[in-house]
Amino acid sequence: MGTEERRQELLKALKEGVVEYEEDQVEEAAKAVVEEGFNAYDAVMNGLAAGMEVVGDLYDKQEYFVPELLMCADALYVGLDILKPHISLEDLGDKPKGQVVIGTIQGDVHDIGKNIIKMMFDVAGFTVHDLGRDVPLEKFVEEQLRTDSEIVALSAMMTTTMMGMKKVVEMIKEKNPNVAIMLGGAPVTKETADLFGADGYAESAGNAVQEAIKMITRLREMQ
Amino acid sequence: MQPKERVERFFKKEPVDTMPCFSGMGTVTVQAIDKMRIRFAQVHSSPEYLAASALTSAEIYGFDGAVVPYDMCTVPEALGRGVSLYEDAEGILYPTVPSKWEALEEVEIPSDFLKKGRMPVVDEAISIMKSRSNGNLAVGGWVLGPFTMAGQLIELAVLLKGIKKNKEGVESFLSDMTDLVIEVARHYQELGVDYMTIREMGSGTDIISPRMWKTLVQPNLEKVFSSLKSPKILHICGSTDLIIEMMNECGADALSVDQKNNVAESRKKLGDDVLILGNFDPFGTLVQIDASEVEPVIKKCIDDGVDAVWPGCDLWPDVKKENVEACVRTIREYGIKASPAVGRV
Repeated sequence: MGTEERRQELLKALKEGVVEYEEDQVEEAAKAVVEEGFNAYDAVMNGLAAGMEVVGDLYDKQEYFVPELLMCADALYVGLDILKPHISLEDLGDKPKGQVVIGTIQGDVHDIGKNIIKMMFDVAGFTVHDLGRDVPLEKFVEEQLRTDSEIVALSAMMTTTMMGMKKVVEMIKEKNPNVAIMLGGAPVTKETADLFGADGYAESAGNAVQEAIKMITRLREMQ
Repeated sequence: MQPKERVERFFKKEPVDTMPCFSGMGTVTVQAIDKMRIRFAQVHSSPEYLAASALTSAEIYGFDGAVVPYDMCTVPEALGRGVSLYEDAEGILYPTVPSKWEALEEVEIPSDFLKKGRMPVVDEAISIMKSRSNGNLAVGGWVLGPFTMAGQLIELAVLLKGIKKNKEGVESFLSDMTDLVIEVARHYQELGVDYMTIREMGSGTDIISPRMWKTLVQPNLEKVFSSLKSPKILHICGSTDLIIEMMNECGADALSVDQKNNVAESRKKLGDDVLILGNFDPFGTLVQIDASEVEPVIKKCIDDGVDAVWPGCDLWPDVKKENVEACVRTIREYGIKASPAVGRV
C-alpha cells in the first residue's frame, strides 16, 4: 500500500491530466493507482471527477468551450477505463447506484451533451445503457423494460425535437409508473420538464447526476 | 409598396412604408401543409410541395417573403450522406443526416453534386416560386456557413476536437467547405433568389471561443460574403454577444441573431447604420405562449433596435394561427416608425 503523499500525487496527476486534457498523463497515473494498490474509486472521484469539476467551472467562466470539454472527457475516459474494473462494490457503499437508459431523441442527431451526461453517470458508478442518437421513441420504452432501469434520461438539443419527450414520458409512465424520467438539453427548461410529467430536470451535467441520485433514493424509499 | 420592393429597399437601407415581415429561414406552417392535404415529411422531396407550402404560408399570413429549402440535409445528401425524412414518424420532424464522415480525409466532394440528391428539387422550387409570385413576393434562399456545413458532414466531436488536435487539417477542410458554400449560394443567386442568408448557426460561443471564431470562422465567412451579390445576410443563433462585432466585419449586408443576443447592446456596439435582424424565439412565441402575450415580445425586439423582426430560427411549423397573426400585426403596426438603419417613406 502506498503512502498518503503518493496518493495525493496521483490524484493531482489525474485531476490535472483531465483539466489539461493530457491523456498520457491520466493513463500513467491511473495505471500507477492500480499497480500500487491505491483505491480505484477514490482515484475516480477525487482525481478524475474532481478534474471534471474544474473543467465545468472553466466552461462556466467561458475559459473552456466545447472543444476543450470534449478533450477533457476523452482524458477522463482513458482513466475511467483503467480504474473502473478495480472498483469494488463495497467502495460504492451506501451511495445508491442503479441503471440508466440514456439517448438523444428521434429527429435529433446532436449527442455531445448526452455524452457528457453519460460520462457523469459512468463516473458516479451507474450502469449506463446508451441508445445513442436519433432514437425512435418506443426504443426508450423497450430498453427500460429490457434492462429494468430505474432511470430514463432523454436529451434533445433542438426545440423541434423536444416535443417527442412528452410522448416518451407518457409511454414509459403507462408501462411502469415507478421509472424516474429525466430531461435535459439546450431547449428544455424546468417548466417544460414539469409540463411533460418528468421527474427530474438537469440544467448541467453535474446537476444531472445529483438529480439522478435523488430520484433513485426516492424510488428506493417508495419500494 | 409591394412585398418584394419593400424587402429590396430594406436591404439597400432605403425608406420603406413599414417594417417588412419576413425571415431568412424557413417559414412554412402547418396551416399551409394542412390546406394542401399533405404531410410535413412529404414536403422536402417535391418541388411543387416545397414551393406551394412556402407560398401558401406567406399568403395565409401576409409575409413579404418565402424561403426554401426547409431542411439542412440537401447538400450533405448530394455529397452521398443520405437523408432521414422520418416519413413514418408521428408529428413533425425535420430531416437529419443519418451518417456523417468519421474523418476529414474521408470526405469527397463530387464535382456534379449540384445535380445530385434533392438539389434539383430545391432549384425547381425556387423557379416555381419566382414564377408564381409574379415578382410580388421576395424569394429567399439560404446555405449553411462553412463551419456549420463541416459539422453536417463530419462527426461534430471529430471536428471540434480537431480544432485543437489537428488545426491544419481542420483549416484546410474548412477552406474546402468555404468553396462548397460559395458554389451553392452563387447557384441560388443565379437562379434568382432575392436575398441570400448564410446560416453559420453552429459557431456561436456556446460551442467555440471568440478566439477560435476569429481564426477559423471569420476568414471563411469573409471569403463567402466577398463572393456573393447583395443582399446577403449572416445569421448565427445561440450566444453571439461576444462575436457580434466580428460578425459585422464579414461583409454581410445584415446580421441576424436569435433571442440569446442582447440586441440593445449590439446596437450600441455596431451603431445605427448596420442592419440588425432578430430576435424572437419562434417556438416560445408562436407555439407556446398565449396569443395575447405575443405583442410585447415583438415590441421588445423593435424597441431594442432591430431593423426587421426575424425569428431566431426556422419557424416550428406547428404554430398557433392567432399567434402568427398577432406577430405580423405588431410588426406592421409598431414597425410603422423608422428603425435605426431604415427610414420610412
